Amino acid sequence: MDALITQLPVGLAIGAVLLLAALGLNFTFGQMGVINMAHGEFIMIGAYTAYVLHAWIGVNPAYSLIVALPVAFAVTGTLGWLLELGLIRHFYGRPLDTLLLTFGIGMILQQAARDTFGAPNVDVPAPPWLTEGITLGDIRIHYARLFILTLALTAVAAIAYYLNRSRQGRQMRAVIHNRDLAAVTGINTRRVDATTFFIGSGLAGIAGVALTLTGPTGPTLGTNYIVDAFLVVVIGGLGQLRGTVIAAFALGMLNATVEAWTDASLAKLIAFTAIVALLQARPQGLFTVKTRALT
Amino acid sequence: MTTPHLTLTNLNAGYGRAQVLFDINLTITTGTIACVMGRNGVGKTTLLNTIAGLITPTHGTITHNGTDITTQPPHTRIHGGIAYAPQGHETFAPLTVAENLALAHHATKRGPTHLIDHALDRFPRLTPLLNRRAGLLSGGQAQQLAIARALVARPTLLILDEPTEGIQPSIVEEIETAITDIAAEGITVLLVEQYLDVALRLADTVTVLDAGRIIHSGNRADLTDTQAHALMAI
Repeated sequence: MDALITQLPVGLAIGAVLLLAALGLNFTFGQMGVINMAHGEFIMIGAYTAYVLHAWIGVNPAYSLIVALPVAFAVTGTLGWLLELGLIRHFYGRPLDTLLLTFGIGMILQQAARDTFGAPNVDVPAPPWLTEGITLGDIRIHYARLFILTLALTAVAAIAYYLNRSRQGRQMRAVIHNRDLAAVTGINTRRVDATTFFIGSGLAGIAGVALTLTGPTGPTLGTNYIVDAFLVVVIGGLGQLRGTVIAAFALGMLNATVEAWTDASLAKLIAFTAIVALLQARPQGLFTVKTRALT
Repeated sequence: MTTPHLTLTNLNAGYGRAQVLFDINLTITTGTIACVMGRNGVGKTTLLNTIAGLITPTHGTITHNGTDITTQPPHTRIHGGIAYAPQGHETFAPLTVAENLALAHHATKRGPTHLIDHALDRFPRLTPLLNRRAGLLSGGQAQQLAIARALVARPTLLILDEPTEGIQPSIVEEIETAITDIAAEGITVLLVEQYLDVALRLADTVTVLDAGRIIHSGNRADLTDTQAHALMAI
């Protein structure tokens, strides 16, 4: 129990990072069903955006992180929008082709990062106001972790508002539920697809900026998170925001606590085994939309 | 009353290589109820989907109010005054009844929200269900919502695909009354209906399809019930 409590901030921080990485996938994969393997590279580009703002443009580290968030959202959102418009749109209904295509795009982006920034990792210094922490009893809470957690929860709240309360969010849910019906209700489904991809990819950028607080930034940064992020979306139930949040923190806590008792590799093994067992019992994930239909 | 509202000329359509509709020529007059009939699998739904823009015809043209809409995407056709309630009383299950109606209203950007109230007046059963998710409605309620949603777009042409399919008789009566009232307001109705009795009571014109071709087209008044039954038995 003590281990659980001391590992709580670590688990929540891992969960928050996973959540940020998965929130974008919740749109593109969970809602649209597109397996975008380049999503990890969008995360990486988000992180490098923070680096460029600090190291190339020379934005003051005290607030470069805050500036980087909207800039990274715009940069990766635009990249995602272009990817949907130029390529993915022509492969709808062909999931395996889309998977290969986006995997290739991911590799191109990784190589582009290597050519631009070099193969070694780079560091984005955290703002001075995030380098400290507070101690509560046995628990040490870093401000950086607290910031990531706040960022993740703020993103969830904003997405929940967008999906449930805004006109565009409802249109998005309508298109995802039944594309043809949405089209004959007067919704421009292509525009909605483009918007969905823009937001989903933009969220990857925000996740990337947050990751600069947890360690160095390199061309393969996104690859380390992409599988876990896909798992979070699958466990949560495709397109289910509530499920994604719960799955991210559950996986984060599982990783942190098991890792405290064993080691990182074994923790991963145990987490994956638990996921396989869960998906055997509930292939549809934790949450689904309840209807009168028998499916 | 004889202005052509919708004209299909030499229309061929299908799914990939499987051609379903062959050389369809049909004119629907403004303000009438046009009923398309035929057995299962003869191409009725394909015809409606083609008119709504969900299927692109391989040949021929579709003219709506004098405009060639053959290559228009579905949402442009809806904005142009065509509304469609597809088969299977389809609704947006995760959204509430109110959200379903608001969605159609916003998507078509047509005037004030009293259109939603007007649609609800026509189907009063929906009013107490406004906050219920559409996926939890019964078949009859969902069909009424589907038609109400189509009406919110303030159409000049309302396309209904089997609105009475699998629905209890009392609600079938309500839907029948609603269709009559809608037509009385001057909205042209294109109806696919399996129940011959309902179709013959509502229709001004009857078109019968068989194997993707029109085998009969004419005024309902010129057709005796016996002849209609004979056509449907083909």
